[in-house]
Amino acid sequence: MSEFFSMSGYGIYLWPAFALGIGVVVLNLVMALSSLSTARKDARRRLEINP
Amino acid sequence: MATWTWFHRLASPPHVYGFARRWTPWIGGAAAVCMVVALYGGLVLAPEDYQQKDAFRMVYVHAPAAWLSLMIYTTMAVAAAVGLIWRMKVAHAAAAACAPVGAWFTVAALGTGMLWGKPMWGAYWVWDPRLTAELVLLFLYLGYMGLRAGIEDPNKADKASAMLAVVGVINVPIIKYSVEWWNSLHQTPTVMKMGKPSMDTAMLWPLLLMFVAFALYFAAVLLIRLRAELLRRERNASWVREVVT
Repeated sequence: MSEFFSMSGYGIYLWPAFALGIGVVVLNLVMALSSLSTARKDARRRLEINP
Repeated sequence: MATWTWFHRLASPPHVYGFARRWTPWIGGAAAVCMVVALYGGLVLAPEDYQQKDAFRMVYVHAPAAWLSLMIYTTMAVAAAVGLIWRMKVAHAAAAACAPVGAWFTVAALGTGMLWGKPMWGAYWVWDPRLTAELVLLFLYLGYMGLRAGIEDPNKADKASAMLAVVGVINVPIIKYSVEWWNSLHQTPTVMKMGKPSMDTAMLWPLLLMFVAFALYFAAVLLIRLRAELLRRERNASWVREVVT
């Protein structure tokens, strides 16, 4: 298992790179969903629809 | 003119909104499955490279991110051009929805590239043609977003930012062919080139699957952002009332 994480010594570069990639993937999904939720709330307020 | 009905539907915000809402979970789900399988294939199943050892596994995150940063820009420029030519609101909304996602994937491409450059080239950053052009891509995305944010009238913001997006597309082939045009430290294409990819099948399939995963992921995120854009733009349309209640 530790061999897998060491990645023939390149783990210190490899894992941060994958963390960055996966982080950007997750972050963009969360930001898109939160932007949609804000737009929906704003539209409801504008159209005076009670929740 | 039945062939053109799809084009008219594409221009109709309620139709696009409904389409996006129906398809996002399926596309997003497929992206997640592909991504997990490709990660396992790339990090566990693929054998190590004879030169780079396990460092070559960087390719499974770096190449898809870099490729997506270019694909998103191209999508944005095409949408912007369609918006300019046919004055299509949905197209302008789609272009605006692309920008932040594209900027983030450019950051991912640059960041993962730096982490790959350090062990292979001995430096996090070099002013190499491809690296420099990719950095310019980030500034194009940021400029596009800054321009939109700086113009209050949405129609003017659409037009001005669309011009920038269309002009900036010249940078896409520059990045793509930089490694062939100039003497670059960056390696030349392995997969996206004429003829056969110079990579073993065991290494290649996780990479191709990761490309598919990233493309599907982008489609899903774009559809979510597009819905938000449409809700913001279509202030008083009756369909907005229907979809938010």
